[in-house]
Amino acid sequence: MKGPRKGQALVATLMVLPCSLFVLTFAFYPILYSFWLSLHRIILGLPQLGEPFVGLDNYRDLLHDRVALRATVNTFVFVLSSTALELLLGLIVALVIHRSFTGRGTVRAAVLVPWAIPTVVSSQLWRFIFNDKYGLLNFIIYGGEVSRYKAWLADPFYAFVAIVVADVWKTTSFAALILLAGLQSIPQELYDSARVDGANAWQRFRTITLPMLRPALLVALLFRTMDAFRVFDLVFVMTQGGPADATNVLQFYGYKKMFAEGLMGYGSSISVVVFLLSFSVAMLYMRVIKVGFLQKG
Amino acid sequence: MKRVLYLFFIFLLLLPSCQKESPEKVKLHFVTWKPNVPEVWEEIYRRFQQRYPEIELIREIGPHSSTAFHDMLTQKLKNRSPDVDVFLMDVIWPPEFASAGWAMPLDDLFPPEEREEFLEGPIMANTYRGSIYGVPLFIDSGMLFYRKDLLQKYGFKPPETWQELVKQAEVIMEGEKSGGREVYGYSGQFKQYEGLVCNMMEFILSNGGHIIEPDTGKPALSKARAVEAVRFVRDMIIGRIAPRGVLTYQEPESLDIFVQGRVIFHRNWPYAWSVSNDPEKSRIAGRVGVIRLPHFPSGRSYSTLGGWQVGISRYSEHKEEAWLFARFLTSPEIQKLIALKASKAPTRKALYSDPDVLKVNPQFKDMKDVFLRAYPRPRSPLYPAVSHVLQRYFSRVLSETDLDIEREARQVDAEIEKILSMVR
Repeated sequence: MKGPRKGQALVATLMVLPCSLFVLTFAFYPILYSFWLSLHRIILGLPQLGEPFVGLDNYRDLLHDRVALRATVNTFVFVLSSTALELLLGLIVALVIHRSFTGRGTVRAAVLVPWAIPTVVSSQLWRFIFNDKYGLLNFIIYGGEVSRYKAWLADPFYAFVAIVVADVWKTTSFAALILLAGLQSIPQELYDSARVDGANAWQRFRTITLPMLRPALLVALLFRTMDAFRVFDLVFVMTQGGPADATNVLQFYGYKKMFAEGLMGYGSSISVVVFLLSFSVAMLYMRVIKVGFLQKG
Repeated sequence: MKRVLYLFFIFLLLLPSCQKESPEKVKLHFVTWKPNVPEVWEEIYRRFQQRYPEIELIREIGPHSSTAFHDMLTQKLKNRSPDVDVFLMDVIWPPEFASAGWAMPLDDLFPPEEREEFLEGPIMANTYRGSIYGVPLFIDSGMLFYRKDLLQKYGFKPPETWQELVKQAEVIMEGEKSGGREVYGYSGQFKQYEGLVCNMMEFILSNGGHIIEPDTGKPALSKARAVEAVRFVRDMIIGRIAPRGVLTYQEPESLDIFVQGRVIFHRNWPYAWSVSNDPEKSRIAGRVGVIRLPHFPSGRSYSTLGGWQVGISRYSEHKEEAWLFARFLTSPEIQKLIALKASKAPTRKALYSDPDVLKVNPQFKDMKDVFLRAYPRPRSPLYPAVSHVLQRYFSRVLSETDLDIEREARQVDAEIEKILSMVR
């Protein structure tokens, strides 16, 4: 008995090994290395200072960095507003393409298009749409009245809204896709019997669709939140964090510190904070999902 | 048997591609940006290859924006990439590149007597702690482009002071509007990026203010002169005569609306001259004037020093060939070519009396003293950090109109002082 089980364990270990190695090298190592860097003062422009170990100094500085605080607030507002909108719109889209109608295949494919476009390209596209001189948005709102055209990206509030809109446009389809899969796993019999009981459309949605969709909703929420915390390319292309830092988010700020200013230690501490934030959010969701599944089971 | 034949066939196919790589040809990697006038650069590469057939020049094209180019290039240099031999450097980088040990000192190759032939400002900009780290390729400095026809129509002479500029712009805007033509008074570069610092510095210095006090080395943005200039830009330029969109403009966007004939005054670098006078790219070709930037009544005109240098990586394995290319690029022949075809102002003094150059670029004659006096941005290996603080400050006070400029400026002075104190 002992022999084969041992052999099985060995085979299992061997089979898991490549994947584990991959994760260790490409996920764990960089994270640990960032953390290690964040405990040092490393300034690329001043190599003569060496790379002294400074403990948690970088994190202490970060707490007093008003730009970082602003960026944190921006990041949270971005995460909350974009994920909320994406899930809401994604749910609507999913419900629509779940019904059968002629041309459904085409519509389903079309819904996926924004998600398939690289973010850099779609950001450029939105930058043009919001342009103050030849932007499509101005044309739609003001038509030929060129003098009333508004410089959306020059206004701190609208620039932020623009970033959220661009993100929602791009990733709603991702949320919709996951929710559609969730919808398809709900057995049709439930609806049939509800109909027999005389439940109207809203009641069917409230008591069957939403509860049954909960796991899918949570998964979509998890992916979208973690992704939104890492927002970078949209900001990089559309606004560079401006105007007046209104669209400066943590990841972009960290990038600036590391790659433009050469403050490797300080920049790393920002990355670590972003990691910890999205990691704790993930942990929280995982708990909720687990509880959700247990209740069901 | 068949399989062997196939393999042999494939082998034959691969053979020529292997032979192509002749071992004696040196591969020289040149990191450059996407040029405004690509034809000139094609010509330069062609001439170089003709003259030095034993060197294979490989171009690594980086982004057009100086900031993005900096991030890419420093990343390669930090990793000691073998893909960098020769590179272009923005005028603000030599102290950083020298201090970080990325750029190779050129003291022996580029001796003082040869440096004499170049304008003083760019040579200064390439010098850090007594050594020289780059050869100036061309110089940039802020200039005021204006619509000759519109100024004539309303009987104005090109403005001497910023106040005059605003007044003229308002009259012309009003007059054109009643004729059904909408024009804006001013366009420049006010997006949150490096160009914002260049633009704002010109306003501050031409009011007798400073970013960093030259005598004491202390930041001086909260001094009355500097605050006054910033307030003027916020209330008189952006609030009144420029479209609010300038807060999102870099060079290309601000030039776009100028060449479409929708702006009266435009601040840009010398290259805007050839673009705005090219009938293919511009609706106002032949109707453009250029003059030094205005100043405040109590100050004098200042331009920010810009421009690009040729540097050599300390980690290059082909330093000799790299120097050949750097010397070739900055030679009188190539600088003249760039001046003629791309309107870039040369860094070699002699070219300012070259009749061919002056014929194509009549503005250089008047601008020579502007180039001579062009003012460098703060020189520090930590300049990128200083610049970010400045960009943030200017963008904030220009786009949030209810902020107390003086209070913001005091905070910014403290932040810059903290950065500078790390180098002292």
